[in-house]
Amino acid sequence: MTKILFSDKLDNCVTRWQAAGFTVIGPVTKETLSSYAAVEHASDFDLGIVLPDRSLKELFFPQTEPMLRYTIKQQAINTEDFTPPSGKRLIIGGRPCDAAGLSIDDPLFGWDYKDKYWFQRRNESVIVTIACTKADDFCLCTSLKLAPDSTNGSDILLRPLENNSGWEVEELTDRGREAFLAIAELLLEASEPTAPMAVVPEMFDLDTCVAWLQNPENFESKFWKDISMRCIGCGSCTYLCPTCHCFDIQDEGDTYSGIRRKNWDSCSFALFTMHTSGHNPRSTQSARWRQRIMHKFNYFPGKFNVNSCSGCGRCSRQCPVDMGITETLQKISTLHS
Amino acid sequence: MITQEKYRSKVKKLLADSSVKMVIGYGPGSTADRRRPLFVRSFEEADQLVLDSNCIGNLSGYLVTEGLLSDEKHVAIFLRPEGIRSLNILAAESQLNLDQIIIFGFDSIGREVNSLPGEHAGEFSELIESIKENPPEKSREPLLYQIEQMNSQERFAFWKEEFSRCIKCYACRQSCPMCYCRRCIVDSNQPQWVNTSSHTLGNFEWNIVRAFHLAGRCVGCGNCDRACPVNIPLRLINARMAEEVLESFDHFAGMSDTQEPVLASFKKEDSETFIL
Repeated sequence: MTKILFSDKLDNCVTRWQAAGFTVIGPVTKETLSSYAAVEHASDFDLGIVLPDRSLKELFFPQTEPMLRYTIKQQAINTEDFTPPSGKRLIIGGRPCDAAGLSIDDPLFGWDYKDKYWFQRRNESVIVTIACTKADDFCLCTSLKLAPDSTNGSDILLRPLENNSGWEVEELTDRGREAFLAIAELLLEASEPTAPMAVVPEMFDLDTCVAWLQNPENFESKFWKDISMRCIGCGSCTYLCPTCHCFDIQDEGDTYSGIRRKNWDSCSFALFTMHTSGHNPRSTQSARWRQRIMHKFNYFPGKFNVNSCSGCGRCSRQCPVDMGITETLQKISTLHS
Repeated sequence: MITQEKYRSKVKKLLADSSVKMVIGYGPGSTADRRRPLFVRSFEEADQLVLDSNCIGNLSGYLVTEGLLSDEKHVAIFLRPEGIRSLNILAAESQLNLDQIIIFGFDSIGREVNSLPGEHAGEFSELIESIKENPPEKSREPLLYQIEQMNSQERFAFWKEEFSRCIKCYACRQSCPMCYCRRCIVDSNQPQWVNTSSHTLGNFEWNIVRAFHLAGRCVGCGNCDRACPVNIPLRLINARMAEEVLESFDHFAGMSDTQEPVLASFKKEDSETFIL
């Protein structure tokens, strides 16, 4: 016997969570674009999609965020910190790859400096993930040693029932258990068969790829130029990625007053590494694409012991020139180091 | 299929006698209906060339890749009529020398692909003239009429909503053959002329700057619209600007390599009623 959340009770759950002070968030499709957004009712959710176009990352690390307001007067500089909007959030219907993305970025944001904007939101959010029963041609979690029912980064994992009438509840953390106390009486003890997980074929052997990337001789390989020739250097792969986390700090305003903001930035842009002198250490798109792959599968794991990719496939899914991590690693896995 | 085979052997012939150093075309993509840009330098690569109705992207932007044409060698490229028009603009704006470009022109109706006669940009001028005079049916979208019916507040609200999704990835710029500037205005950060933040103001600034820079230059290839990862209907802005320019100045972008840029030239008969 396990706890079951039946879908006809989901709207009651949303109401209960809202009454308990949570903003309830989930996958929502608006016109042609899906993302994670706040809902009023369970009917606002779009739980039928493989995964939202936009990743879960932006609920924790928004594309633009004010950090401080400054005013400069004679002999006086005043600054006033912005704190992230606070409030409990329950995010339901996230996919395991998106939740894993959050846990991948946790050590990064908490490494030498604890990023208060990231962690305040992390501490106030409950992640209720729904395991995947369907995948598309771009999903690649299994190639990253994750799975359609991975629990990394989730507080609760819901497994869809075979008859599609609800989900089996797996409580993973105290935070999850506590949030589910609010809906305890809406859950039923039962033993219902769960639906088979999505079949996500392995696209490449990750260990072979990592070994090739770690070989310093391959840094200058002709491979990088060939694979990235059609890359147009837009940053959409990095901006939709659930783990890409680079940002730039910009002062907006004038000499006397303004706002300091933290904005997404991307290693795909030439400006990202441009020096004041005009010299650019990553002067070509191939050097920038190499950086993206090296960072995710060589440098980041070297520092934090985890790959900076959770296999959502968004980079390949929406690339305007049909590139992506899958193609690059597939090709690397066939090269001999 | 016949067209595709014909082109493969044409490409091989050009490579065999060193008439071109590279052919820019389409190859198979990661799913059955996706095509990706393909750079052909060998017979082996030529065999991967695909030409069908799914070959949609305008590839002409690759021609201005730094250093590609500086050795004065020839490059061949697969282009739809819009692509040929953007090539003319690139030449008119001194970004490339048309003598170095061999065109494999094609178009498609439904799933049928037709090759367009001609090899050099000038040979397509009649075709472009006929597109100007008789724009293809269905090319004007219902949404454009709807937006026109809106009053200025409604229209502002419409675009505010659309731009609110902008994440400033600049995929629109990067995919656009007309956005060839080595340093875009938004990348000039001393001072930072345009806000990099993707808040309402920053998003309006960026999208309006781009719309103006494309007025009289956009050929409506749709690269920006397809590249936008948050599905902002960018084509509508550019289509409207193109209509405005055609109406006011009888300017249809990309007619020839000698066409003057509409916003950088002046004619006595221009209807500039605001200048007294």
